[in-house]
Amino acid sequence: MSEPITRRKITVDYNIRVSRCEICGRRYFPPKPFCDIEGRKSRMTYEDYFYCRGLFYAGTVIRRPTNKFSYLGSFITGVIDFNGEVKVPGRITDFMLNESEVDVSEFIGMEVVPRFRRIYVDGESGLIYYSSLVFSFTDDYYEAKDYKPLKPSEKSERPGIVGYGIYIPKFRIKNEDPSVGAGILERAVPFPDEDAATFAVEAGRRALIHAALDGRYIKKCYVGSESTPYAVKPSASTVIQALKLGEPYEDGFFSGGLDTQFACKAATDLFIDAVALVGSPIFRGEYVMVIGADNSQAAPGDPLDYTVGAGAAAYIFGKRDVIATLDYYVSYTSDTPDFYRREGEKYPRHGGRFTGEPAYFKHIVSAIKGVLKESGLTPGDISYIALHSPNVKFPVKAALDAGFSMDQIKPSLVVQYMGNLYSGSSPTALAALLDIAEPGCRILMVSYGSGAGSDAYIFTVTEKIEEKRERSVPVLSQIKNPKRQYVDYSTYRKWKESSGL
Amino acid sequence: MTGKPYAAIIGVGRTRFGELWYENPESMVVKAGLDALESVDKGLHRADIQACYFGSFMYQVTNKLGLVPGYISRELGLNVPMTQTEAACASSSSALHNACLAIKSGVYDVVLVGGFEKMTDRYGKIVDDLMFAADPHEFDSGFTFSGLYATIMARYMYEFGKNDEKCRVALAQIAVKNHHHAVKNLYAQFRNEIRVEDVFKSTLIADPIRLLHCSPVSDGAVAVVLCKPEVAKKYTDDPIYIVASQQATDHVSLFSRISTLEIRATKFAVSKALKEAGITLKDIHIAEAHDCFTIEECLFMEDSGFYSKGEGWKGIYESIDSFSGSKHIPYVGNGWEVFVNVGGGLKADGHPVGATGLRQIYECFKQMRSEADENQISVEGGIRYALCHNIGGSGGIANVHVLAREVE
Repeated sequence: MSEPITRRKITVDYNIRVSRCEICGRRYFPPKPFCDIEGRKSRMTYEDYFYCRGLFYAGTVIRRPTNKFSYLGSFITGVIDFNGEVKVPGRITDFMLNESEVDVSEFIGMEVVPRFRRIYVDGESGLIYYSSLVFSFTDDYYEAKDYKPLKPSEKSERPGIVGYGIYIPKFRIKNEDPSVGAGILERAVPFPDEDAATFAVEAGRRALIHAALDGRYIKKCYVGSESTPYAVKPSASTVIQALKLGEPYEDGFFSGGLDTQFACKAATDLFIDAVALVGSPIFRGEYVMVIGADNSQAAPGDPLDYTVGAGAAAYIFGKRDVIATLDYYVSYTSDTPDFYRREGEKYPRHGGRFTGEPAYFKHIVSAIKGVLKESGLTPGDISYIALHSPNVKFPVKAALDAGFSMDQIKPSLVVQYMGNLYSGSSPTALAALLDIAEPGCRILMVSYGSGAGSDAYIFTVTEKIEEKRERSVPVLSQIKNPKRQYVDYSTYRKWKESSGL
Repeated sequence: MTGKPYAAIIGVGRTRFGELWYENPESMVVKAGLDALESVDKGLHRADIQACYFGSFMYQVTNKLGLVPGYISRELGLNVPMTQTEAACASSSSALHNACLAIKSGVYDVVLVGGFEKMTDRYGKIVDDLMFAADPHEFDSGFTFSGLYATIMARYMYEFGKNDEKCRVALAQIAVKNHHHAVKNLYAQFRNEIRVEDVFKSTLIADPIRLLHCSPVSDGAVAVVLCKPEVAKKYTDDPIYIVASQQATDHVSLFSRISTLEIRATKFAVSKALKEAGITLKDIHIAEAHDCFTIEECLFMEDSGFYSKGEGWKGIYESIDSFSGSKHIPYVGNGWEVFVNVGGGLKADGHPVGATGLRQIYECFKQMRSEADENQISVEGGIRYALCHNIGGSGGIANVHVLAREVE
């Protein structure tokens, strides 16, 4: 596919765009500018099915794929029917098959939801192609929530979090040897068609659903990652296009965004920027989305190979319908080379034990001290604490060293079930707390990014959190979902490499 | 008959179908073309050829060729007008359709029609290449052609054959029958008998389609010589007439069609062709059906009207299961009997996609003139009418030609 063809397809495929005749109601995919029945009288409008549920109408298991899809092995693909209104082709993702024949009729009539995934890549240096014509069965692992945007409240408040969404892949690998992984029991493994950009879109979509916010109000989108699919080309534009962030104009959107990089605090550093923007008169009270998404790679046998997870966390900041106000902020930074990856290198390197005391602990604890001083609060005034979690051992030690108790840190220790989410790590730990926090709770979140720095934020949960809770997909429900599937080490390596291309 | 025939077929030629490692597209065309010219009973000079019509699907991709008329001109030593048509697997029947229109219009008296495909030069890439005949969204969803037909087959079995093993057997029997028909076809790619259990044990390609449900990747070329009906006897005492040449189209994409369970292009083209020929299905003695995958032969039997929708597999099962002879296996129905794919069809004769449409014509021509040697079918009173059905893609186009032994 050439670049111009790709661009033309993106506008249709990312959102599953269908044209509809306003006179007779017939729908067409791919969209076309006139109705077969109404002809010259046609009045066509466009509809997106990105948030809709469909039914698996018919399909097959592709056992001998085209070369472009050989990276997936055997997979299900078929025809998806949306409400009897329109049919589209769609591959089923996140589904492992064995060699024996599948009775495809068992899938017919099953409900599916669109997922934003890679379709294929053009070699190691060409374009990466994405589409939302990729589906998963609705009841297969994910809790599908309907997207019903509400009109934002007129009332302006102290800025803070308006909604959040976490995405953790369906698959896991177990750390069978308890001596590795520093407390991590199992880790999230991406399906081969996933990468940091697809995680970002999925988490962003969940944040929109949770906030019940129309994407057109979001005027800025930051994507923090150390594993962006492209070295040069923003993931932020992919997220903006797929989630339709900003006011639509022609085939683009009036919004801005960029990818940010600061190891594992690439996203959290932007929380304060988001709040500052929201408060700016020029920004006119609109919303900002900040996403931390990572599919970090670790060399086989490296200690990191037993801790890396995969996933994303997305937060929407605004000053209407806020569920947690952002009250205090401090950042602490020094040039500490504890972990790095040179341009063109596949795997990052690290300083072994040097990543501990002079890097992680020094910056985390300094930021905690700074924010407590800034706020005049003590550990006893904080309900919960969420720290960057490269493993279980580090955040526990840092929290205890800083004067917090196990009860304050424990609910945030989701890392043990999904591994280190890098840019998504501390935001996911924060989400695990927001999932359970009562109005009035005060939460301290501290990130850590190698290189090195920490951002400390204190949030206060509002009454609004209760009414939005039913629209969230809690971190624990993803972690404990009985439909998660385990893969062995060779499958993990194969998938991880494939999605890391 | 409701009108005068489009054209008379006076000569046919073909190569063997299969893995022709030592042939180029041009060399295959020359062999088939010269074979066709030399087969004309009373002789035909190359100078009598006034135009050529060729069908091929993807020579530009498989062999990096363009301007095929220039190659044909050079290889056959002709400087006449040449038109190339591309309609995926229906490429050469589309060429034939255009040739019929040209002759019927009175512009030409004698034309050469050819079809060819060279698929084995793209070993390892041909599965991707074939998807040119599908919507890009289908490619991007991971479909292959076997996957598209498997989707049709899965839905068909779900709607019409649920919980009935006979449906599954019937869709395997089609392959068994077509292999049986090809055993004595000297040009066929596969001349071996297979059993239903062989089909079920063969490699899974796209569930529920297995390897032996599929037509193969093939090389080959076919050519036929057409002339104006009025001058046919100048070239042969035994011409075969094309009394209907109809084409119908439908969406290239399976997912957007009104029904996944019927090929509407087949339905429209067969219906128009029968009307044009002034006959009914009961008059058809032999039919060449486009069995790229066995489900497609089943759909043809329904969409053409031999069996009603959803009942095709039952008719096929009963026909084949009750057959006790040793030669060709007919399908039977209420007051009719038709032999389908008497040379093995796409399944066993082979499927070089751009040659297949004319291979069907070749087969019928030979059978109707009783020139099929050991594979000759016997029909009391001779074969009066034959129907050739050739589709492109997963049903985006269908060409139907009706051949007659005699005209009024």
